[in-house]
Amino acid sequence: MAAPRGETVPKPIQQDWVNREYIEVITVSIKKITDFLNSFDLSCRSKLAVLNEKLTTLERKIDYLEACVTKGETLT
Amino acid sequence: MAGTDRVSLSDALSNVDVLDELPLPDEQPCIEAQPCSVVYQANFDTNFEDRNGFVTGIAKYIEEATVHASLNELLEEGQEHAVMLYTWRCCSRAIPQPKSNEQPNRVEIYEKTVEVLAPEVNKLLNFMYFQKKAIERFFEEVKRLCHTEKRKDFVSEAYLLTLGKFINMFAVLDELKNMKSSVKNDYSTYRRAAQFLKVMSDSQTLQESQNLSMFLATQNKIRDAVKENLERISGYEELLADVVNICVHMFETKMYLTPSEKHMLVKVMGFGLFLMDSELCNINKLDQKKKLRLDRIDRIFKNLEVVPLFGDMQIAPFNYIKRSKHFDPSKWPLSSSNTPSPQADLMVHLPQIRDDHVKYISELARYSNEVTTTYKESGTDAENKETAELALRGLQLLSEWTSVVTELYSWKLLHPTDHHQNKECPQEAEEYERATRYNYSDEEKFALIEVIAMIKGLQVLMARMETVFTDAIRRNIYAELQDFVQIILREPLRKAIKNKKDLIRSIIMSVRETCADWQRGVEPTQDPALRGKKDDNGFNVKVPRRNVGPSSTQLYMVRTMLESLIADKSGGKRTLRKDIDGQYLMQIDQFHKTSFYWNYLLSFSESLQQCCDLSQLWYREFYLEMTMGRRINKCTVRHAHNEECNDLITMEKRIQFPIDMSMPWILTDHILKTKEPSMMEYVLYPLDLYNDSALYALTIFRKQFLYDEVEAEVNLCFDQFVYKLSEQIFAYYKQLAASIFLDKRFRVECAALGAYLLPYPRANRYETLLKQRHVQLLGRSIDLNKLITQRINTDMQKSLDLAISKFEGGDITGVMELEGLLQVNRLCHKLLSKWLALDDFDSMYREANHNVLAPYGRITLHVFWELNYDFLPNYVYNAATNRFTKYRGQIAFAGAVHRDKPPQMSHHYMWGSKQLNLAYTTQYGQYSGFVGPQHFHTMCKLLGYQGIAVVMEELLKIVKSLIQGNLLQFTKTLMEVMPKQCKLPRYDYGSPGVLSYYHAQLNDIVQYPDARTELFHNFREFGNIILFCLLMEQALSQEEVCDLLQAAPFQNILPRPFCKEGEKPETKQKRLEAKYAALQIVPNIEKLGTAKQSLISKEGDLLTRERLCCGLSIFEVVLNRLRTFLDDSVWVGPPPANGVMNVDECTEFHRLWSALQFVYCIPVSENEYTVEEMFGEGLHWAGCTMIVLLDQQRRFEALDFCYHILRVQRVDMKDEIVKGISLKRMVDRIRRFQVLNSQIFAILNKFLKSSENDELSVEHVRCFPPPVYPMNPQQHYHAPEHLRQC
Repeated sequence: MAAPRGETVPKPIQQDWVNREYIEVITVSIKKITDFLNSFDLSCRSKLAVLNEKLTTLERKIDYLEACVTKGETLT
Repeated sequence: MAGTDRVSLSDALSNVDVLDELPLPDEQPCIEAQPCSVVYQANFDTNFEDRNGFVTGIAKYIEEATVHASLNELLEEGQEHAVMLYTWRCCSRAIPQPKSNEQPNRVEIYEKTVEVLAPEVNKLLNFMYFQKKAIERFFEEVKRLCHTEKRKDFVSEAYLLTLGKFINMFAVLDELKNMKSSVKNDYSTYRRAAQFLKVMSDSQTLQESQNLSMFLATQNKIRDAVKENLERISGYEELLADVVNICVHMFETKMYLTPSEKHMLVKVMGFGLFLMDSELCNINKLDQKKKLRLDRIDRIFKNLEVVPLFGDMQIAPFNYIKRSKHFDPSKWPLSSSNTPSPQADLMVHLPQIRDDHVKYISELARYSNEVTTTYKESGTDAENKETAELALRGLQLLSEWTSVVTELYSWKLLHPTDHHQNKECPQEAEEYERATRYNYSDEEKFALIEVIAMIKGLQVLMARMETVFTDAIRRNIYAELQDFVQIILREPLRKAIKNKKDLIRSIIMSVRETCADWQRGVEPTQDPALRGKKDDNGFNVKVPRRNVGPSSTQLYMVRTMLESLIADKSGGKRTLRKDIDGQYLMQIDQFHKTSFYWNYLLSFSESLQQCCDLSQLWYREFYLEMTMGRRINKCTVRHAHNEECNDLITMEKRIQFPIDMSMPWILTDHILKTKEPSMMEYVLYPLDLYNDSALYALTIFRKQFLYDEVEAEVNLCFDQFVYKLSEQIFAYYKQLAASIFLDKRFRVECAALGAYLLPYPRANRYETLLKQRHVQLLGRSIDLNKLITQRINTDMQKSLDLAISKFEGGDITGVMELEGLLQVNRLCHKLLSKWLALDDFDSMYREANHNVLAPYGRITLHVFWELNYDFLPNYVYNAATNRFTKYRGQIAFAGAVHRDKPPQMSHHYMWGSKQLNLAYTTQYGQYSGFVGPQHFHTMCKLLGYQGIAVVMEELLKIVKSLIQGNLLQFTKTLMEVMPKQCKLPRYDYGSPGVLSYYHAQLNDIVQYPDARTELFHNFREFGNIILFCLLMEQALSQEEVCDLLQAAPFQNILPRPFCKEGEKPETKQKRLEAKYAALQIVPNIEKLGTAKQSLISKEGDLLTRERLCCGLSIFEVVLNRLRTFLDDSVWVGPPPANGVMNVDECTEFHRLWSALQFVYCIPVSENEYTVEEMFGEGLHWAGCTMIVLLDQQRRFEALDFCYHILRVQRVDMKDEIVKGISLKRMVDRIRRFQVLNSQIFAILNKFLKSSENDELSVEHVRCFPPPVYPMNPQQHYHAPEHLRQC
């Protein structure tokens, strides 16, 4: 405890604060990227779901129309 | 982006910031728990690994940190062993046992047994050694702290708490070991096999095995060992009292965050007191010495009677007290009483929870709006402090609610219901069922769902704001810490230096050096405070601001060192407190209290998750273990039971509970069952419990089989969920549609009569659920909308199919109900289509009608079938009512009609509900007794042009076969028996004479047996067909007129405007046309569409316009077709001998019809059926039509027998009975039929002669030369050919 204080000893603590703040900045950024990815995921999912729904509807319509059309073929 | 480009940090950071600005809309309302595909949690807890970096701290606490680190490791290891024990599933039951010593493969069995169980047994060995090591370590620690010298020193809060955690660990491990009988069974199986194979050869292994066996077999082994060890230490009870007291203190001041920490505190109180109470020490005496406060603990134990021990294992902490040596019930008045604990009643907590929720949510919303609308680099210190407090308050609320839920669940598990308390609970219900399924009232289930929804809902909101919260939290903690260390601590430091209090000075200096972050990078050496002097002018400390919190070790060091300054419990030794001014003490104390929560706040994301963790609501290892042995499934095969049956019983032991006993499903199903609208939006929250459980299985338990079981249950439950949900959504919308469609007056009158009719279905919030396109469940994303769409599509299809099947199962009058059902389904489809992408209704309808591949649908075919087999032969037409009714006499003209029975169907496939079905069945029952215009209208709508055409074509075929078959045969036969000549008798004979003349002449016909039955029946069928065609066309025309009227505005056909005097109608008309120009299809399509579209629209327009204009008539065509069928000569007979017309000869059809008319005009006796009753007017229609088509109408009217009788009777007005016939009655009948005949003729002529104009008809008149006066007086008439010859 009697060691001379001031210039020499506290430096590592001081440096630690700086380092940890830097790490925190990176962490926060990664967190932001994660948040972005999650909301991007959700947004895409809902858009893709809508698209999928449209395609399914079209597909079913085509199935139906095909059935209607083949009726003519089988009869002739 | 080239990989080689260097991106600077600031660029990278600004890139990240830009991400925020990308709009990522998600169009569904959020009604599920936090959905995240990627979870990012940074963990900065170093477990004191970095302690050596803080050389400036007081060495003692750095040493203590080392102890903490190793104790924490032991605690972690203990947790792993607890998990191992809890998740232990009995292996030995699955292993075949050799049945006898002679069994040839028993060596192999034993070898495999050892091979399989060896790794498991190894875990048990490790566990035994671990507990030994842990107990020894705990003993060492306690011994060290209880050393008389050490007792004088202060023991930090953190240290005591860690000891408490140890006590908790021992309690948990001991209980788990006691409970798991399967562990012992497995070990004995292994031991038997190992001994047989002589695997354990050396004495050391044998001893080890013996020890393990003893360890596992002895109940309470760990507990007793701990207690034994402790009792060897003098004064241990004082340390334990400190531990218990700190737990009481922390519990009462809410110095904990997660529910598990809260429960740990209570367990430590119970188990700690149990450990203290011994031969040497009496806790009651400690209470008297105020070393303990039993009254406070009593209250805590009452409020929390049951706490979770591990998973679904519960413990009543008070039981430890009851088992202790000096238990004195009078010291524990609350816990000993029988009054129910508040823990058992969720309803008392609910209003407070709701209130807190609403308040907090609104505060959060306000704050969140503020954050999203205003951009700030960083808030002020005050703002950050406020935000951090908001975050902490949120976490505490969440933790509190989670505690309430888990505590209720725990209490219920330990207090299962039975069939006395709950009538719904069957007597043979098994243990787990009584603890879960039957143990909650409806109210409690709703309350649980609500609280779970609040927890999960708030978790989502808080997680969304995580970056904002953590930013504020770090800034706030940094600011508070640095301000405290650099500014507030200056004063006590100044004083300590001035007063030469070296110890205090060195502690404060250490605190400063451990964590101060100086503005200039170094401590300001010129600070007057360091010299114990007052501040000079101009000196002030500027504290920097950063966005980072202290490290975990740093925070521990600061807090512990400050605690040593303010501690007042170091036994006997003078404290440092009195050397510090009261106001600074207060500040230090306050800082110490506030900073307790900093660790939780700094790891916000982790804390948030732990506060909301409800995973244990699913785990049931304890109950499975208990049930394993008890569930008895007897051999159900009927035979003389033998040895093998016993094996069967073992095979059927319960491996997992059914979903009906599983809490997440119980809650989900409760919403689905009650269909409670206010709860419907919460339905996904209970399902989220599976997410919690699965996460726990993967991250804490780390057991694949548990995850698999959760997954299997989720698969089952989710299928059930979608099935039930879509069924009730469909039923709901069907009911809504049927209620809208239901006649309003009918509804009003029902209400007036007091008849019970369900009101409109209660509005429910299915829309929100229907909007869900991604639901997160066990890492899968589920498109709920799609799944429901698929099911409802099928339901819709089935509904239509059943509607048609129902029609097929009934007679032709069913068209009315069919049409109604189709309309309701169409409306239902329309309502649902707002949310779901269902197939086109018309396509569905055609598919159900089997009309996609085949040209004619089921409806058309059935209509025709019914016409052919039921309508034509059995129905009787009456023009007065314009209805056909069914002939109900005894004579059957056609075979009985067999129809397929309509399939049984649930209400929602019909009209939606039982009441609605009843209402509609009653309504449509009104239409079932007859076939009238309504039915024809409906048939027109349902059959369409194509259907009508085909039905008529088929009907014409029937007519053809009738005319050219039966009718022709009858005609030929009857023509034979007709008198060759039948004159019109003179008036002089008087009407009775004329009647008797005709009766004599026509006697053969009158007597002909088949005339009144078969022949008339054939004519009736023919007539019904004619009437059907006529009425169908009438209905069709009306439908078409409606169509045209509706189309008119789009075709620029506007009603003539009203004009006042002086106004020009043309200009007014022009103005109207201009006004509605936007409606006109053809010009608009021409202007805006492609050439092809315009062509199509023109053609459509033309078709609509011309449809009725050219005056085409189906009926006319039908009549003309009928005419072509009458090609046999028998209808017209040979050409008249006189070249003009037959007068007395009976060769033409109309003479036969006259004869038949004579037959049916003869009045019948009272008991006989009249022809009207039996055949209706179809008969007359058939006759008249044939006469008209044969151009014999005038001759018929002039020469008819009956008409002649009528004419004569009109003159003489006589009334006699002639040959048993009442003349008057006969004449009345004749008159009636004459009128009818002339009406029919008029209608027919209207159709047949419509195209002939007058000039043309003149040309058709054959001109005869003027008659020459008779040359041959004997001859009444002259043959024209003779005339010409003259």
